[in-house]
Amino acid sequence: MRIKNHPIIKDFKKEELVEFRFDDQVMQGYSGESIAAALKANGVMIHRYTRKKSEPRGVFCAIGRCTDCVMIVDGRANVRTCVEPLQAGMIVETQYGLSRKGANKNEKI
Amino acid sequence: MKPNMDYPGKALIKMKRYELIIIGAGPAGLSAAIEAAAEGMEVIVFDENQKPGGQLFKQIHKFFGSKQHRARERGFKIGEDLLKKAEDYGVEVKLNSTVIGLFDSKTVSVKIADSIEHYSAYNIIVAAGASEKMIPFPGWTLPGVIGAGAAQTMMNIEGVKPGEDVLMVGSGNVGLVVGYQLIQAGSNLKAVIDASEKIGGYGVHAAKLARTGVPFYTSHTLKELKGETEVEKAIITEVDENWQPISGSEKEIKVDTVCLAVGLSPMSKLLEMAGCQMKSEAGDLIPICDQYSKTSLEGIYAAGDVAGIEEASAAMVEGRIAAASILKELSYLDQAEFEARFSAYKASLEELRQGMFGIGEGSWDYPQKSREGYPLAKTLLKKGYLKAEELKKFPGFIDKKSSEVIPIIECTQNIPCDPCQDICPKDCIKVEGDIVTLPELDENFECSACELCVAACPGQALFLVNHNYSNNYSSVSFPYEFFPLPELGSRGKALDRAGKVVGEAEIIKVNQAKINDKTAVLTMKVKDAIVDQARFFKEGDF
Ligand SMILES: Cc1cc2nc3c(=O)[nH]c(=O)nc-3n(C[C@H](O)[C@H](O)[C@H](O)COP(=O)(O)OP(=O)(O)OC[C@H]3O[C@@H](n4cnc5c(N)ncnc54)[C@H](O)[C@@H]3O)c2cc1C
Ligand code: SF4
Ligand code: SF4
Ligand code: FES
Repeated sequence: MRIKNHPIIKDFKKEELVEFRFDDQVMQGYSGESIAAALKANGVMIHRYTRKKSEPRGVFCAIGRCTDCVMIVDGRANVRTCVEPLQAGMIVETQYGLSRKGANKNEKI
Repeated sequence: MKPNMDYPGKALIKMKRYELIIIGAGPAGLSAAIEAAAEGMEVIVFDENQKPGGQLFKQIHKFFGSKQHRARERGFKIGEDLLKKAEDYGVEVKLNSTVIGLFDSKTVSVKIADSIEHYSAYNIIVAAGASEKMIPFPGWTLPGVIGAGAAQTMMNIEGVKPGEDVLMVGSGNVGLVVGYQLIQAGSNLKAVIDASEKIGGYGVHAAKLARTGVPFYTSHTLKELKGETEVEKAIITEVDENWQPISGSEKEIKVDTVCLAVGLSPMSKLLEMAGCQMKSEAGDLIPICDQYSKTSLEGIYAAGDVAGIEEASAAMVEGRIAAASILKELSYLDQAEFEARFSAYKASLEELRQGMFGIGEGSWDYPQKSREGYPLAKTLLKKGYLKAEELKKFPGFIDKKSSEVIPIIECTQNIPCDPCQDICPKDCIKVEGDIVTLPELDENFECSACELCVAACPGQALFLVNHNYSNNYSSVSFPYEFFPLPELGSRGKALDRAGKVVGEAEIIKVNQAKINDKTAVLTMKVKDAIVDQARFFKEGDF
């Protein structure tokens, strides 16, 4: 889903291509871009499930306001992935409530 | 209402004092900073973003306006230039810095990383811009529903396609422009819907979409979105005059992405918090300002979208007015110099506000006629395209079948714009009086077919027609900003203004001159009979 040829923007000025982990998959993205952009480029739509009803949420505002896109990043919960830059080797996990899959979703890690 | 935090003056913190603090590094804030710093004032600008420029950096289309407002330049270029200028004057721009408190003592509290810092100044300009409105409907929280701003960040900044098949909700300028940019990014824009009975944005922006085949559904709203874990389809329904759904009118559109462009609200919270007098406009609170952009509080000013949604061009002038007023207050400018600047800025602002979308007329109350008395084209307002018969009534069209190339100006609403007149080396096009006047084709035009106007027009409303290209064939030149660019000699179909196939076409010229700033001008050969209809090209048999 990366834009390869754009009629107006000739260069999206990306940094280095790096690997990161999303749940149990290894993915590639460019360091410095938002984690959300890297996930979107890999086709990931669901970032988290809500605490009460376990409804899926994904990117909505992309400017750090709505908190729909929060995930567990390098062990920290509630990281707004639309504004958090990707770094090599990051571990990005889908967030269930306030926690990981299988854990108590009401308990923040 | 007192803010929920300690009054910063109470704490014994060292506070740096500036002559001017500006909140927001968008076009309004940066223009204000430039105006002030150019006179030697000590200015600091805070912006919560990682990148300065506000909305401008996501805008990759050519802007309306006149030369003075940087017309026909692409938004991001205008932003880059503002930033460069601000840097040259030594303006301090602090990014990742969210202003969370503004007090009438002219103090601000700024959240930088995990700490909160306090700054004070003699004067403060709030230029925080606007945020997107949202409408809830069944299914709106599904992944795949995004704001128009989010789509722009993804495709124009990050270089990632927001979705494959997209439905745009909202036909204001934001919806139209972002819809166009989605096509440029390679997405399929399946439809644009709007609950209003008329398209909210400029007709020329809508026409760019319509000719590629995008359908417009006015008087339609989203009934619901279907999908297990992400958007799979949208159900839209027609609404009556009271915006009530008409049962049985549902339509299903298969999409994976729904983009919401349902309006902007000024981010005026800080001003309200400081105690500025506010008023309600279109359901939003905006500060009451005098003509110098000053709020009801001494030393606190508001400029740009935060003081009422307008355009970047107006935001830049408002920023300059606010800064000039402060320069005068602090005796950087004497009365005479201030008045000279102020009257020039004011005139420029008035010119911008005269269009059909200017303040006063109200964005949603359409006039029935153009200022010159031409009845507005109905299909343009409802479907996004002009009919050939409608166009013939306007001054940009001359009914002539000579052997020369004839420019056709399909610009029929009063918008503040005049690059067509500005760029034509042969003076064929006139925008008489002020820039809002409809462009007119000079009766005695002698067009050299240089194609400059076709590429320069931000509305992509200019076409060149040659009725005598060869036996039985005419040619049509039109702007093209999509990928892949059809090659010389490629064959396909000619589409009309509504995006309907009207016949065969062959590309006989591809102009990619550098001066045209990435807008290609294509010329296609079509049968004489369809030359008045053919306005777009799609390659291949279908
Ligand atoms: C899709 C689209 C197309 C457009 N097309 C055109 C066009 O063709 N022509 C035209 O003239 N205009 C156009 N505009 C409008 C134009 O972009 C805006 O009117 C203009 O950017 C407003 O400028 P501003 O400086 O007031 O606000 P913004 O550009 O919104 O900048 C405000 C800045 O303030 C910052 N900020 C907000 N709150 C805080 C805070 N509390 N602390 C710190 N920083 C803060 C924000 O991060 C932002 O950078 C378009 C807008 C959109 C969305
Ligand atoms: S093609 Fe050139 S000469 Fe003809 S109207 Fe356009 S700008 Fe003027
Ligand atoms: S025809 Fe002229 S006035 Fe109309 S949009 Fe194009 S450049 Fe602007
Ligand atoms: S998408 Fe809204 S905070 Fe990230």
